Amino acid sequence: MTKKKIISKVGDAEIRKLVVERLKALSSGRQISIGDKDSFTKEELIKKVESGDPIGQKIIEVELEFLRALKKGRIFDE
Amino acid sequence: MTNKSLLITRPNHDSSTTYLFHWSKPIIGVARQKNFKIVDLTGDRANKTDFTGRMKKINPSFVFFNGHGDQAVIMGQNNKILVSVGKNEKILRGKIVYARSCSSAKKLGPRSIRSGTRAFIGYTEPFIFMYDPQRSTRPLTDKTAALFLKPSNKVVTTLLKGHSCLEANKRARDGFRRNIRKLLTSESKKEDTETLRFLFWDMRHQVCLGDPSASL
Repeated sequence: MTKKKIISKVGDAEIRKLVVERLKALSSGRQISIGDKDSFTKEELIKKVESGDPIGQKIIEVELEFLRALKKGRIFDE
Repeated sequence: MTNKSLLITRPNHDSSTTYLFHWSKPIIGVARQKNFKIVDLTGDRANKTDFTGRMKKINPSFVFFNGHGDQAVIMGQNNKILVSVGKNEKILRGKIVYARSCSSAKKLGPRSIRSGTRAFIGYTEPFIFMYDPQRSTRPLTDKTAALFLKPSNKVVTTLLKGHSCLEANKRARDGFRRNIRKLLTSESKKEDTETLRFLFWDMRHQVCLGDPSASL
């Protein structure tokens, strides 16, 4: 199996699960301001990721972008 | 002919806008020191009628938006639209603009540049920040929010000091980068290191459109 095929096997459900786990590790005492619906607790964001609403999708993008940059050592190159 | 003046919008109808409202106060102090004429549209005055009227009357050289938005609009109090693609982006013609709002550099920014805006600094994706709700009555004492809002304030203070838009964009991004580096390399509170993903996001998606050499 090629590398591309292996990667494609990591589907949306797995990615969502990964992001939810990362969100669970956040402290409870903080609010996250994103979008035009004010701000959210981590529990609210987790629900949004699980339901796949637009804010949840954006949080997935945030997490993946950060993880990719970390992996490639490009955090400071941007 | 534009003059040395700043128009700032500061809605305050929810927690996010209230944070931006308060964190813009130091900017107003710097603008006063630099002898800028200031039009400060706060709360209910951050509406389309007042905004349009003041833009026409004062013709400010610099417009600083705080508030919610999306790719095509920037909003004021109670999320009422102030500027919208295809409707009134021409009102920004000849100005330098900084939009501390979500995603407006994606469509509204480029369209306003095509309509004659000198430069537009903003975000191609949602501007995200974290804050400590226990500090929400005194946002300027919130160290978590400061990680985001101090660097973004740099856009404005750099411009007010006469530097170019390119430099303003760079110094703000450097501010985000410095905070990221500090959080990665020193002993920091867990709550603060959790901001890394969002600091990186804001830094990455802050852009300067139009003439990078434009200055006030």
